[in-house]
Amino acid sequence: MRLRTEDDGTAMLLVPEGAIKLNASAAAALALVDGQRTVDEIVAALCARFDVGEARARDDVTALLERLCMRRMLVLS
Amino acid sequence: MTDVRPLSLLCELTYRCNLQCPYCYNPLDLDGYRDELDTATWQRVIGEAADMGIVQLGFSGGEPTLRRDLPTLISSAARRGLYTNLITQGTFLDDGRIAELAAAGLDHIQISLQAPERELADEIAGTVVHDRKLDAIARVQKSAIALTLNCVLHRNNHDSMAAVIELAAAFGVRKLELANVQFYGWAYRNRGGLMPTREQVAHGLQVATDAKRRFAGQMEIVYVLPDYFEDRPKACMHGWGRAFMTVAPNGKTMPCPGAAAISSLTFDNVRERGLAQIWSQSSAFTTYRGTDWMPDPCRSCERREIDWGGCRCQAFALTGNAAAVDPACALSPDHDIILALRETGDRHPTLVPRRMREVAAPAVGVGRSAIPEM
Repeated sequence: MRLRTEDDGTAMLLVPEGAIKLNASAAAALALVDGQRTVDEIVAALCARFDVGEARARDDVTALLERLCMRRMLVLS
Repeated sequence: MTDVRPLSLLCELTYRCNLQCPYCYNPLDLDGYRDELDTATWQRVIGEAADMGIVQLGFSGGEPTLRRDLPTLISSAARRGLYTNLITQGTFLDDGRIAELAAAGLDHIQISLQAPERELADEIAGTVVHDRKLDAIARVQKSAIALTLNCVLHRNNHDSMAAVIELAAAFGVRKLELANVQFYGWAYRNRGGLMPTREQVAHGLQVATDAKRRFAGQMEIVYVLPDYFEDRPKACMHGWGRAFMTVAPNGKTMPCPGAAAISSLTFDNVRERGLAQIWSQSSAFTTYRGTDWMPDPCRSCERREIDWGGCRCQAFALTGNAAAVDPACALSPDHDIILALRETGDRHPTLVPRRMREVAAPAVGVGRSAIPEM
């Protein structure tokens, strides 16, 4: 899968034969998924950048990653 | 101009194929598409697609790996940031070819399987293919390219569905599509021989539902019901001329791969017009775009911007009028056609293999068998 940012700033996730429109927070979270960062690091980076609490950020990131894992687009290791 | 933007382009590079699957959705007059676009024209089309904001590019056919310039075209698309998909039957995917495709930047391969058992698979394909396909699946799984396994279901292989799921799981496949045959092109011609029974479709749904639960998080399983067994039409291509474009091997440009069958439409060709111009102006695209063309009851239906009136090709095939309500819809005045086919299926055992050229029935006393052309 691949993250693609349009000229107008909107983002979409390109997956086999499909595209998933992302809201701004999902796009910001997935932009941090690089195969290296841990979930903790992604949450910390989002908290540092946006006005969001740690618990809320963790819930949202976990829910997003779980959905992608269920569709086998992402593997947690 | 139009306010809808295409997201996906399907490049049907060639209609040549070494298989003869009777469920192929390609048009019957395959021989009329032999004058294929050259590499430079395909590259121009891919560039125009990227300029238009298209994000998904599919390479299919026929069998697209028969085109020697496939890696060149993939790299043209990859360089422009397009997500590239190859839809193949897989019989030519040796290690060298897979490495070449990966190096070109290919993102995703969909390999079709005829059946989980060798004998049945080879019988459906009309030639010896099964073992080569299994080899190809194993090879792609070792590469960096994402893999989807696809099996078209019909009356002759439906009962093997559970075995297809086991086979896919054994290969560690991440996505499996179990798609009931939809009746276009050769499949429409072979409808009576392919139509599953009600029991098969219902049992299939149960098998798929169980498997989805069993393999959750391990393998994504998609089970596509046949239109003929549903009461609401599918949002075919996400609406006519709303998201998809297809360019046939000879450059004919269509809203979907089946549209050439609608003889009341005129199609433009990328040899003569640019892709963006065709998208916004070609009558083949504008005629059924949006909701203005809709008859009642679609026009006033609350689902009109959900299913976009269903499938124009199906309406044309079953009623002779591409602007008719899709007969798959229970609200269609022609829904009785679907109900009758669902019950009786017009079922018969004969299947006509997909061939490049119509083969005339042999004259009496001549035992010559037809040799399929590549």
